[in-house]
Amino acid sequence: MSEHALPGGPVLYNDAVVKKFVIACLFWAIAAFLVGVYIASELAWPQLNIAPYLNFGRLRPVHTSAAIFAFGGSALIGTSFYVVQRTCRARLWGGDALANFVFWGYQIFIVLAATSYLMGFSKSREYAEPEWHLDLLLVLVWVCYLLIYLGTLMRRAEPHIYVANWFYLSFIITIALLVIVNNLGIPISPYSAKSYSWFSGVQDAMVQWWYGHNAVGFFLTVPFLGMMYYFIPKAANRPIYSYRLSIVHFWALIFIYIWAGPHHLLWTALPDWTQTLGMAFSIMLWMPSWGGMINGLMTLSGAWDKLRTDPGLRFSVTAVGFYGMATFEGPAMSIRSVNALVHYSDWVIGHVHSGTLGWVAFIVFGALYYLVPNLWGRKGLYSVRLAAWHYWIATLGIVFYIASMWVAGLMEGLMWRAYDRFGFLKYSFVQVVVAEHPFMVLRMIGGVLFTIGAVLMIYNLWMTVNSPSTEAPRATPVAIGLPAGAVVAGE
Amino acid sequence: MRLSHAFIERNAIVLLVLALLTVTIGGIVEIVPLFTIETTVEHVQGVRPYSPLELRGRDIYVREGCYLCHSQMIRTLRDDVARYGHYSLAAESMYDHPFQWGSKRIGPDLARVGGKYSDAWMYAHLEHPRRLVPESLMPDFAFLARTPLETRDLLARMKTNIEVGVPYTKADLAQAEADLRAQDDPSADHSALEKRYHGAHVVPGNGHPTELDALVAYLQVLGTMVDFKDVTPAQERQ
Amino acid sequence: MDLEPSDVIVGLMVAVLGLLGLLLIARAWDDEMYLFGMVLAGFAVMFDFGLLRRHYDRRDAALAARRGGHE
Repeated sequence: MSEHALPGGPVLYNDAVVKKFVIACLFWAIAAFLVGVYIASELAWPQLNIAPYLNFGRLRPVHTSAAIFAFGGSALIGTSFYVVQRTCRARLWGGDALANFVFWGYQIFIVLAATSYLMGFSKSREYAEPEWHLDLLLVLVWVCYLLIYLGTLMRRAEPHIYVANWFYLSFIITIALLVIVNNLGIPISPYSAKSYSWFSGVQDAMVQWWYGHNAVGFFLTVPFLGMMYYFIPKAANRPIYSYRLSIVHFWALIFIYIWAGPHHLLWTALPDWTQTLGMAFSIMLWMPSWGGMINGLMTLSGAWDKLRTDPGLRFSVTAVGFYGMATFEGPAMSIRSVNALVHYSDWVIGHVHSGTLGWVAFIVFGALYYLVPNLWGRKGLYSVRLAAWHYWIATLGIVFYIASMWVAGLMEGLMWRAYDRFGFLKYSFVQVVVAEHPFMVLRMIGGVLFTIGAVLMIYNLWMTVNSPSTEAPRATPVAIGLPAGAVVAGE
Repeated sequence: MRLSHAFIERNAIVLLVLALLTVTIGGIVEIVPLFTIETTVEHVQGVRPYSPLELRGRDIYVREGCYLCHSQMIRTLRDDVARYGHYSLAAESMYDHPFQWGSKRIGPDLARVGGKYSDAWMYAHLEHPRRLVPESLMPDFAFLARTPLETRDLLARMKTNIEVGVPYTKADLAQAEADLRAQDDPSADHSALEKRYHGAHVVPGNGHPTELDALVAYLQVLGTMVDFKDVTPAQERQ
Repeated sequence: MDLEPSDVIVGLMVAVLGLLGLLLIARAWDDEMYLFGMVLAGFAVMFDFGLLRRHYDRRDAALAARRGGHE
């Protein structure tokens, strides 16, 4: 078995682990969406809180962890292994055992995190709820992941490190930093799962939102840009629009993102100077974000016609559009006066989902429609029409979701601050809750539509792998796949 | 530009180290001064560590994910103050490991819920919210009233809080179990409890607290520790 | 048949995790730690047996290939 790149010869890639991550990603997509639909229904019909372990407070972290770390994380680790091998023309460093450990260790972390929330163990830090023992397991898995990735980069047969890998690498190292610092705490015993945070009060809030915002920045944005930089040029068969732009926006993005955390704490007991810094950098963040969007969209110039025939590419490009929209909305919401209205409201939930459904999930769907036929050596998708149906149903679902949350959020913000002519508050809290009911139902419908779309995708991908109609004419040789853009980036 | 970046692009370790340095700067500038600038946490009177029963109630608040629907942070905005009371000070959560400021108000803010409602209302509402507020979205927490409070690990929990900076004394630890039971028993002698934990709210239990007793004791102390009549504007400046 | 260093190192690391799991099962204060210990121990056994199986599968395949070459 040849592990190293032979000059001129094909490299035997470790695609087995990539396939496992793809399957896990599909499984977790359905799990995350279903739990999301359930907790959305709980907010419309509270009678659904039928047992302690199905209460909103315990299920909500199951939804966020399943969506971000299980679905998103499996997609990221899987595609990063696929991309790094092909752009380095080298097999994964560390042997199959290490790659398998990363896969199974990560999946076990996810399952245990979910069951621990249901049993009532949570650090109550948003997007970092798992208790200390699970954090340690995650750190171990993550260090192995970093070693594999870095080792593969170092044994590469290409002179340059392709741009997608910059994004993946900075994601891996920054997430390690964020997770370790944010989760510092002391367990009440080495044999108990309960721990208390090292920090308290205002410092704890700042550390948590430094983490929380950069979970969005470095988990849900930076590595998915890496995905964009590989799969869009590949599917469109065009080089990346601008190499210089990719350099500038990469460094600017990772530098500025880390400062934006305090915009989650505007008008609170956090000192004003920190709030102001956070707001200023959040607004600056708009530029490097749009740098990425422009680079992704312009890569298609001259290949726009492919959008009509390639549903995977359509997902990817729509994703970049949603990315541009969400990264404009975010800075706007970080302005103090806007934030005074929208903070604590459903607009924030809508904003997050325009990012996670529109950007993250769509860029993953785009990558999956490209990846599955390639990985399993099929000549194409089972049904392009079905993928188109998926696209439109999912898009409709997003529209339902974010439109209802915009309206609900604005309504909440305005009703909370409405005064009567004597200067008293006009509405009690529960009146606002009542007014929101229809939007909670509409949001739930949006979630159902999005889930239906994902089910169609899974059926389509299943048939792509198993149907005789997609069989490749002969055994496909291992593709050596540098995207065309690498030529530009390698100059 | 082109030459120098080509160097970075050819060295994985250089790329890794530079990326790490780039992302470290913002965090250091924003976080470290919060520990060193003295006025970050205001110097006001009255904020004390949680009593043993309140601490256990807080653990249950965290366990049930209450923070996902209820904030504990009244912002410096007119409508927030009109609805919930004096805006929150950083000092009021200085012993909160972890903080519970929250990020979404599916239910109302709880930073000053202490003393707003009677114990009877609190118990009835937590057990079956919709019997009192038909429009409420809150789950029923009747099971907390049926679950005896686990107290075996009480000392371990308090000692861990000491390790992360909460100033419990040796006497607090020695009397923890007694304080916990006294706060759950209206007929007990509360002078020792009151001396150690000023303003601790005694809940109507029988000395053998349920999880619901602990949760109510915690909720009833929220926002009551600082007496704002004594606070001067200079003290509030950060 | 030569051993893959990766198999050995990762196999040992997982074995240590499994032993840690046994310790946690024995001493757990709460259900969560108990479950964590069980899963760690179970995972270690399955994973390391998987490594062994794949090692012998590879060896058998290599032997079969060599024999096939002689005939």
